[in-house]
Amino acid sequence: MKTTDYLEGYLPAGHLLAPHWQYADLPLIGRALTNYQANDLWRMDFNRLPGALAKLRSRARAFAEQHLMPAAAELDLAPHSPACQVHPEVERILCEAGKQGWLSYFLPAPLGTMPWRALPHAPVWQCSLVVEEFSRACGGLMLLLSAHHLGCMPLILSGEVGTLLHHLGPVYRSCKQGDPHLVAFAITEPGAGSDAEEGHGAEVYRPGVVATPTKGGYLLNGRKCFISGGDLARSATVFAALQGEGMESWTCFYVDCATPGYKVVRTELKMGMRASGAAEIELTDVFVPFNRIIGGLRRGWALNRATLNASRIPVASMGVGFARAATETAIEFARRYNLGGKPLIHYQDVQLHLATMVAETRAMRSLIWQEARAARQPRQLNASLCKFHATDRAQHVCEMAMDLLADHGGRHENKLEKIFRDVRLTRIFEGTNQINRLSLIEDWQGQLLDLNEHVGV
Amino acid sequence: MNLDIEDTRQLLEGVGRFARERIADHASRPESPPGPEILAELTREASALGILPQSTEEEGFGIWENSTDAQAVSFSIGALRSIAHACPGVAFAWHRMALARVAAVELGLVLHEDELQRVLFSPTGHYGLARTSLAKWLKASPLQAEDITLLADWLDNQAHALTLCAPSNWRSLLRPVWCGDHIAWQQVSRSDLEVCENIQHGFDELTGFVVRQPSPAAAPIEREAQDARRLYGNLLKLDMLGLLAIGAGALERGEEQAKDYAAIRKQGGKAIVRHPAVQHMLSDIAIARQQADMALAQFARPVDELDIGVVATMRASVSVALCQAADQVIQVHGGIGYMRDAGPEKLVRDQNMLKLMSGGTREIHAFLAGWHGAC
Repeated sequence: MKTTDYLEGYLPAGHLLAPHWQYADLPLIGRALTNYQANDLWRMDFNRLPGALAKLRSRARAFAEQHLMPAAAELDLAPHSPACQVHPEVERILCEAGKQGWLSYFLPAPLGTMPWRALPHAPVWQCSLVVEEFSRACGGLMLLLSAHHLGCMPLILSGEVGTLLHHLGPVYRSCKQGDPHLVAFAITEPGAGSDAEEGHGAEVYRPGVVATPTKGGYLLNGRKCFISGGDLARSATVFAALQGEGMESWTCFYVDCATPGYKVVRTELKMGMRASGAAEIELTDVFVPFNRIIGGLRRGWALNRATLNASRIPVASMGVGFARAATETAIEFARRYNLGGKPLIHYQDVQLHLATMVAETRAMRSLIWQEARAARQPRQLNASLCKFHATDRAQHVCEMAMDLLADHGGRHENKLEKIFRDVRLTRIFEGTNQINRLSLIEDWQGQLLDLNEHVGV
Repeated sequence: MNLDIEDTRQLLEGVGRFARERIADHASRPESPPGPEILAELTREASALGILPQSTEEEGFGIWENSTDAQAVSFSIGALRSIAHACPGVAFAWHRMALARVAAVELGLVLHEDELQRVLFSPTGHYGLARTSLAKWLKASPLQAEDITLLADWLDNQAHALTLCAPSNWRSLLRPVWCGDHIAWQQVSRSDLEVCENIQHGFDELTGFVVRQPSPAAAPIEREAQDARRLYGNLLKLDMLGLLAIGAGALERGEEQAKDYAAIRKQGGKAIVRHPAVQHMLSDIAIARQQADMALAQFARPVDELDIGVVATMRASVSVALCQAADQVIQVHGGIGYMRDAGPEKLVRDQNMLKLMSGGTREIHAFLAGWHGAC
C-alpha cells in the first residue's frame, strides 16, 4: 500500500525533471547505456549470482523466514536451560534443517547435499550466502546450524577419503534423515583464547588438553571452553597436544561425545546468540582410537588454522546478515512511525541515516562476495580482513539503527537490541578482531619485509 | 543554605560509602540484578540518608535539590557517578525520582516521601527531541505552524505511546504536555493510563513500560511562558547531565574491571596489558572517561547559567564515546566479556540505554540547529 507517490523534498517519478522515465525514451544505444531496472536490492544481487548460488540463496532465505525467524524472539527470551537440555523448538528446527540439507552442504551427493551445479563455486561462498540469510533471521539459530560446519571442517580439510567416508559420511547421512548429528569444533581452552588462534601466542602456551598414548589410541584430559554447540553435539573435533610436547604437536581427535569421561560441565549465560549454547567441556581419560585421529599426528595446528581461514569469511557474512536485519528493521520503522503527522522516512536527516546504513551493508556484502568468490583455497590475509572489517562495520550499522529508533531502540519487541547483542559476538569469536588484524599482517610479512618488492594493496 | 567545597566532599564520601557497602553488594552479580524489593529497600535507605530528596516540602541536600547552587550541582553529579559505579540502573531510577521532585516543587505539587518515590518522570515526548522545534521554543524564537504541529504531536500521549524505564511500583506519571503555545505539565495516575510492560535492552534492575493515555487527562499545570521555558529547559539540562554522570560512573567501574583483567589474563606468555592491542583499548577507555570528566566538571554550575546547547552538544559526543569505551571493556575481556555473569556486557547494554533515553542522541543535531537559529 502506497501512502504517497513521492517523498518530501523529491520530485514525483513522472515529473519533467525526473530522469528515469526519460531514459526509456532515448534511442536504442542510449537506452542500452542508461535505462536500468530499479529492482529491490536483494533481488538485484540475486540476479547477479550464478544460477546455482542464486537458487541456494533463495532457498536459504525461505528456510530462514519459515523456520528461524518465527522462533527467534522466544528462544532469545527462554530461561537458560541446563547443559544438554534442548528446547523443543530447537529440536524441531534442527531436524528440519537436517532434512533440507542445511547440515550437509559442504560436499555434493552422494555424501552431502551441495547441488552439483554449485560445485564450480567455492564452498566458502556458498556458505557465506546461507549464513547471511540465517543471521538475518536469528543469530542464535544461525550459530547453532553454522557451528556444526565448523566442527566438520577439519574432517573435510584433512583431505583423507577414509575420514570423509567413515566419519563425515555417517554424520551427513544422519542429518539428512532428520536425525541431526551435530559436530562441535573444540580449540579454545580456559587459559587460551587467542593463543589457540595465532602462532606467536601458541609458541609459549602450555597446552591445557593433553593426549596420552594408550593401547589402541590416546586418552584425552583437560578442559575446553566456549565451544559453540558443544552441548548438543554428538561428536567433536577436539584439538590436543601430545603428552610432553607443546602446541606444535597439536592433533585433531574426532571424539564421540558419548565416550566415558566426556562431560559438558556447563553452558554459558551469553549476552546474545542465546539459541546456541557455548559449552565448557571436561575431558577425563576420554579414549580416542587411532582411527579417529584426523589428518595425522601433529597436523592439528595446520588443520586448525586452515579451518579458521575457511570460517572467517562466513563469519564476516554473519555481519552482513545482522547489518541487513538492522537496516531493514530501521527502514520499516521509518516508513511506519509518524512524527509531526508524517512518517519519519520523509525527514531528510532520517534519509541520510538510512542511506549510510544501506551503503555500509552493501559495501560489506561486496567485499565478502569478492573475497569468497576466490576462496576455494581461502587465504589467511583475505579471510581475516573480511572478518574484522565486516563485523566491526556491522556493529556500527546496528548501533545506527538503534539510534534511529531512539527511545524505542531498546525495546526487545523492536528486534534491534537482540540484533546488537548477537552481532557483538562476531567481533570476539573466531579470533578477536584484534587477533584478525594481526593475522592479516602475519600472512603478509614475507612481502612486507622484502624491500626489493613493491607492496601492492 | 548553600554547600561549600568541604561540605560537598564530605557528602560525596558518604554517598560513596553507601554505594560501595549497600548498592554494590546487591549488584555484585550482574546476571542476577537486585529485584523490586531490594530496590525499594535501597531507595528507602537512600532517602533516610538524605541522598534522595524526602518530600516536596522538606529542603535538603539530596540529588538535584537546590540546583541553583554550583556546589549542589557538583554534589548531584558526583553522587550519581558513585551510585552508577555500583549500579547504573539504580542511579537512573534515583536520578529520575530526584528530577520529579524538582518539577513537583516548581509546579507546587505536594508529594510526600512515598508518593515521590513512586512518580514516574518522563522529561521528553514520544520520539527524539522534536527536531528543531523544541529548541526554538526554548529559545523563544518565533514558531511556525509546523513547529506547533510538531510539538503538539511530540507530546501527544493519546496518539503516541511513551517508552519508559522505571522501578515497577510507580503510581503516577509526571510528564510535559503541549498547551497551544507552551509546555505545561500533567500528573496522571497509573490507573488512568494504558500500561504494558516491555522487555528492555538494559537496566535489568528496572522494568520497561510502554505507556499511553487513552482519554484526555485532568487540566495541565501551567506556568507563565517565561517560567515554563525556564523550568522545562532546566529539567532537560539536569536530565542530560544526570545521564552523562551515570554513564561516567558506570564506565569508571568498567575501566577498573578492564585494567584488573588485563593485568592477570595472559596471552603469548605475558599479561595482556603488555600487548599494544590491549593498551590501545585501555587508552580508548581512559580517553572517553576523561572526556566525560571534563564535560561534567564544566557543568558544575548553577543550572540557570548552563547553556542547553552546550549540554546537548556534550551529551551527543560524550555518550557515544562512553558507549564505544564500554564496548572496549568487553573486547579487553575477550570471550568472558560476552558472558552475563562477568559484567562488561551489562555495562554496554546500560550505556546504550543511556544513549537512547530522553530522545536519544541522533536528533541532538536538529535540536542544536534550532537552538543556534539555523532554521
